[in-house]
Amino acid sequence: MAGVVLETLSNRKLLILSVSLVLILAVFFLIGGLVAPAPNSVIPSTTVKCVDADNIWQKGEMKPFLPRGKGKCDSIDHFSDPRVAREGIDANEIVFSQWMPLPKDGKQLDMSRWFQNMVSVIELDLTYNSQNKYPEDRDAHMVLETRVFYRNKEDDVKDWKLLAASTEHRTLQCSIENDNRQDGKRYQCDLLPFFELGTVFYDFYLINIRLPIDKRTDINIIGQLDDLAVVVIFQNGGFTKVWFSIKTVLFPAVVAVLLWFWQRVLTEGRATNLTERTLFSLGIILSIMNCPIEWLTLVVSMPFMTLLNDIRDGAFYAMLFSFWLIFVGEHMMDQVERNQLKAYWKQLTVVILASAACFIFDMCERGVQLTNPFFSIWSSEVGAIAALGFIIVAGISACLYFVFLCYLVFRVFRNISSKRTSLMQMSSVRRKYYSGLIYRFKFLMLVTLLCAALTVISFIIGQVSEGQWKWGDEDLSLEYTSAFLTGTYGMWNVYVISLLCLYAPSHKKYAADTVDETDTNSREEEVQLTQMASESSNIASFISKQAAD
Amino acid sequence: MKQSRWICLVFGLTVFYISLLSVDAVRWMALAQMSSLAHISDEENCDKLDGLVKRQRRLCRRNVELMDSVRVGALMAIEECQAQFQKRRWNCSTENNKKLFGNVILKQGTREAAFVHSISAAGVAHAVTRACSSGQLTKCGCDRTVRGRSQEGFEWSGCSDNIAYGNAFSQVFVDARESGKKKRLKPRSIMNRHNNAAGRRAIRDNMRLDCKCHGVSGSCELRTCWRAIPIFSDVGAILKEKFDGATEVKHVPSRHELVPLNSQFKPHTDQDLVYMEASPDFCEADRKTGSLGTHGRLCNKNSKAIDGCDLMCCGRGFVTRQVKVVERCKCKFHWCCSVRCKTCERIVDEHRCL
Repeated sequence: MAGVVLETLSNRKLLILSVSLVLILAVFFLIGGLVAPAPNSVIPSTTVKCVDADNIWQKGEMKPFLPRGKGKCDSIDHFSDPRVAREGIDANEIVFSQWMPLPKDGKQLDMSRWFQNMVSVIELDLTYNSQNKYPEDRDAHMVLETRVFYRNKEDDVKDWKLLAASTEHRTLQCSIENDNRQDGKRYQCDLLPFFELGTVFYDFYLINIRLPIDKRTDINIIGQLDDLAVVVIFQNGGFTKVWFSIKTVLFPAVVAVLLWFWQRVLTEGRATNLTERTLFSLGIILSIMNCPIEWLTLVVSMPFMTLLNDIRDGAFYAMLFSFWLIFVGEHMMDQVERNQLKAYWKQLTVVILASAACFIFDMCERGVQLTNPFFSIWSSEVGAIAALGFIIVAGISACLYFVFLCYLVFRVFRNISSKRTSLMQMSSVRRKYYSGLIYRFKFLMLVTLLCAALTVISFIIGQVSEGQWKWGDEDLSLEYTSAFLTGTYGMWNVYVISLLCLYAPSHKKYAADTVDETDTNSREEEVQLTQMASESSNIASFISKQAAD
Repeated sequence: MKQSRWICLVFGLTVFYISLLSVDAVRWMALAQMSSLAHISDEENCDKLDGLVKRQRRLCRRNVELMDSVRVGALMAIEECQAQFQKRRWNCSTENNKKLFGNVILKQGTREAAFVHSISAAGVAHAVTRACSSGQLTKCGCDRTVRGRSQEGFEWSGCSDNIAYGNAFSQVFVDARESGKKKRLKPRSIMNRHNNAAGRRAIRDNMRLDCKCHGVSGSCELRTCWRAIPIFSDVGAILKEKFDGATEVKHVPSRHELVPLNSQFKPHTDQDLVYMEASPDFCEADRKTGSLGTHGRLCNKNSKAIDGCDLMCCGRGFVTRQVKVVERCKCKFHWCCSVRCKTCERIVDEHRCL
């Protein structure tokens, strides 16, 4: 087996390369932290209580109820309004309505296609009423009749079109502390998932919700409701722009390096080995993930984009995990001929199982949301169990994977220590071969661990900074969450690019008299090795024999 | 007990009482006594409104759509004040309709004045914030965090939450009373401004943080948090705590600031309430202090606390009467609106101070 670029590279070149990669990495983090805004924005809003006195909704007519502007619905400010008692307004006649986005600075804002996706949740303001308590002994079963309409700026003000309509079941969970059990205090309620849209293609969205009651059933018996808030979360346009730019730059870069790598492999004129093939596949999957087809969402409505992105991300991580497995296996140095996927079927099954579980779960949630944006797998009992099952399967598989991987790494290190002791007795070609393997392996281990650590650290910083609220905007603040997202994305790209560069077959062939800096390194190492060898050669030879067996 | 409602009914349309002499800091709260049917919708109405200073009238003309929220805020503040002080000798009564809370608030810098100021500022901030988030007001701004004009800024990084706007408006409107050139440096103005700010802080610092995970497959890889405004009765409870622990301060003319009267006490923070004069005991009616006295007040026979008959009646004793209470009972409720109840009657003992 020929050497790779990494081994033949001089220390100086390697240093320059590493420094420049680290710089590129820093740029990715800084772009996220300084240029991009926070990845997501929130519009929390209290809905307007429209009165459907003619029971239009119950008759099945798809009429939009507008909270403001021309054609505003007949509304009440609060349920204690004397009008409610006077006109005998019934819970069935109330339609909660909100028009997104809200007006600001005297203008009606509009949604932008740059927002990419929109998630919405419902917050209920339940007030403690000693005569009308929330049923704490059981989970409250809610039924929501929901409709979402859309309209574009240039459309006629009354030309709202139906985007989705559904009758959804949700389970509400609320609690109240014992000292707060007095009239007027508020329950602590969990947020209810409402809808998820994979695209924000239109300018305005109109949300209508009705909470029907029926004397014969126990639906919507939730105590006293004061307000219903709809919270809309969407990706910031600024973040999308930065994200698209990163993808657009990275895509051709990775493709170019990938082509160079494969051309290098082919010019070797021998059969490709498994490590090379795996690395190539990793590059292909990364390119698929990088491919900036998101630009199309600005022109065409592509609600499946979120799902597609999930799949692309998932495929990349599955491939990365498989690559580590195969790479470690191929550096086992135990004279077992692997070089074929078959040899790894056990470990790869675990990866495939984990990603399949995630895939099925995602298809069940986001796949179904393509047809019904209000769908949530967690809202039905069977669905929740199934979803939990998939997550548990994925979790167990991931754990098994890491156990496998750690075990393999442990074995490699054991073999390395045994090989080191016997290196001196080997012929110079064999020695070069083994020290090359060891060097390659250790380098990858180091870089991988660094990347993984950086991912975890930036993830934690991002999560913590999201939980704490920054007040005031005078000081220059870093957007940690954005930095985490762009940083890790850039990092794994840089990681794959550097692997493709450094683990490509080298043109330089081993020659006994080549003197370069790596050689002096290995000589230093040899001195250390000889010192060690005298002490532990007996044990080492025993281990290497065992390993050979 | 909601006296303000009762006042609304009785005085409904006769509240346009213009007091030329007593210009006190919370006179604008007279807005609370307007009938809720008479929405403030026209700029010309601003000049007719009772209790506003020139600066507030100007603000009113420029932000007419916000005035209804100011009214709601004032009403909320009064109701919450009465709820918090229901069981105390001073019960935040607004029976002295012309002067709202009487002389306590008018002239003297007592603890009670501190509380009324803080809760009024909080009330306006709360009501404006809520109105902004329902989309009923068009003027609410995305604040300074946004780059560029509203639409571009919104597209780039969304809109900040509405509390920033609510607080800013409350500061401009409520503090307008204290911000004249000469008035700024008066001890009482400094105190009022401090307590107003403390009221707004009580909302700002107690925002509820809600988060939603929406990463790959709904995982917490991506988590977005937002702040929800606390319920006003919680704000009232927090300010009541601040009232109990308020700091007595004196004015330092050279630096135009307030320092604790007792130099050994810890200096007050931005969240604390401050006062400059000790409160009267509120036992007897006193025109000078604005105390209404506790004659005829309900008290609790079995309590040793301030709502107990001993303390409430200032040792004058009480009378007990049996009264018939008509209540709604065995009601059938839904989450809103139609309630079908039976009426039940109950005989209870009622104790009133002599």
